[in-house]
Amino acid sequence: MNIRFRVLPALALAMILLFAPQVRGEQPGTGAAPAATPAANAPTINIDKTSLNNGGDILVTGKAPAGSQIYVEVFSADKKVRANRFDGKKDEKTGKIPYKFYITTDMPAFYKILVPKDMDGELVKAKADGSKWKYSEVLKKIGADAAYSAPAKIKIDNYQATIMASIIGSRGTLLPEMDEKATKSESMKLAKGRFRSVGNLLGANVEVQADGSYSAKFKLPASQAPGKYNVTVTAVTDRIKEGDKETVKKVKSEVASFENKIAFPTMYLNNAGTSINLLWPFLLCLAISIFGILMGAGGGFILNPILVTLFPLPHTIVAGTVMPTVLFAQATGIMNYNKVKFINWKLGVGIGCAMLVGGFIGPKLTEMITLDQFKFLFGWVLLVLAALMFWQTTPGYLANNKKEQAIMKEFKKRAEEAAKAKG
Amino acid sequence: MKVEFWGQEFEVNMWVGCTGGFLIAIMSSMFGFGGGPFMVPLMTVALRLPMYIVVGSSLLAIFFNTAMGTMRHMQFGNFDLILFLAMFPAAIIGGYIGPMIAKKVSPTVVKRIACAGLLLLGLNLLGVY
Repeated sequence: MNIRFRVLPALALAMILLFAPQVRGEQPGTGAAPAATPAANAPTINIDKTSLNNGGDILVTGKAPAGSQIYVEVFSADKKVRANRFDGKKDEKTGKIPYKFYITTDMPAFYKILVPKDMDGELVKAKADGSKWKYSEVLKKIGADAAYSAPAKIKIDNYQATIMASIIGSRGTLLPEMDEKATKSESMKLAKGRFRSVGNLLGANVEVQADGSYSAKFKLPASQAPGKYNVTVTAVTDRIKEGDKETVKKVKSEVASFENKIAFPTMYLNNAGTSINLLWPFLLCLAISIFGILMGAGGGFILNPILVTLFPLPHTIVAGTVMPTVLFAQATGIMNYNKVKFINWKLGVGIGCAMLVGGFIGPKLTEMITLDQFKFLFGWVLLVLAALMFWQTTPGYLANNKKEQAIMKEFKKRAEEAAKAKG
Repeated sequence: MKVEFWGQEFEVNMWVGCTGGFLIAIMSSMFGFGGGPFMVPLMTVALRLPMYIVVGSSLLAIFFNTAMGTMRHMQFGNFDLILFLAMFPAAIIGGYIGPMIAKKVSPTVVKRIACAGLLLLGLNLLGVY
């Protein structure tokens, strides 16, 4: 019996250790692309504001050589986020599945390329492809790969994952660093996984006049990273095609910067890479946890899908953050049941051990799937749950449950009396 | 395995219990919820245990999963402290308010609402609408 009471403080201690905040150094903004030495015909750049309040409109204007294509690259200069991708798709050439895992922590928290208005058609086409659109292909089609520079040289770790390694929960063996070209192409895939939609990564809103002067109205959406943003203009003056090879002549402008400011209760989530008005998750969590108690279950399975659909939060962060919030409620629940000796430790620990192993593997899988797969799988889980809930409201179940509840009350009463008598 | 509870003995098929628990744990830790709504039916239906032994013991089993899942999510850097601090107090306050309201509403009605809500949410995630 004493052992039981020794287990609880140990669990509590483990919890405290778990909640100790992770210290993670924030890298200073070194990822900004070095400004190209201004060439004689480099485009000029002007922005009409130097600071924004949680997003807003900014007008970029300037003059480039006449007849050139103008691309405007906007990115968060000092906030970086994590992006990862698991490559489990069969390679069409070799017929093998690569099982490679790519991860970077250097992805700019915001990244967008503005392209000339007349390329809108391509973007509309890409949007029609839904979630299957390919960032690198679209970039190439509209020639915007000439402007793609900020994420092109980020450090990407790549791992060879194996089934065994996944079970142990490691990312696999770290492979040698990729060359510049492979890094660039992988960075596009990571960027697509991170920013998801065509509209987030590309916008056709640069107006170019015949004399080369241009203006681009750019809207920084709300809930983006605070801090410094860099804007660079790339003017493609000439494209020379020789067979398959294309030489692109381009000139870059100097870097213009603006600041995005946010104020409490909107705060920047370092790991998620977005700002969020903290009142919303608070109210949502409050409402759902009350509802969860009325229902006799936790609320995580309602809270998580709502969080991923309503907010620009990555599914990994949502899953990883909601889980610890229920830990405390579970611990108090266990303590209360234990007081009246309403827990069979042999049964609980027995099945608990199996669940321990499952809990070890699950979070690894979260990391390996994309948001769309997450939503798809979760959708089915919810349908099953809905069926379970429905079954619990059928007359047969209710009648049976009534009996059980009566027995349970009787047992509880006895248990409480026994506990009182002892105490 | 034989389990004794309040003077009654139950025969539990641990193979079924552990396999089911393992699968539920993978799923729930992957999506970041507790797993109670799956564990209770598993233990009552598949293991044929009465409700009064299931409520406490399933909570204990789930706690193992949540603790491990939390640790692993943190290891992978999936934990955001600020978001956590915004939701944690809400969960605790909810934990106090919930039981107060619970006496006044019928759990069957709540479950029916939940069922409809889950159905809508699930179909939304699947992109049906």
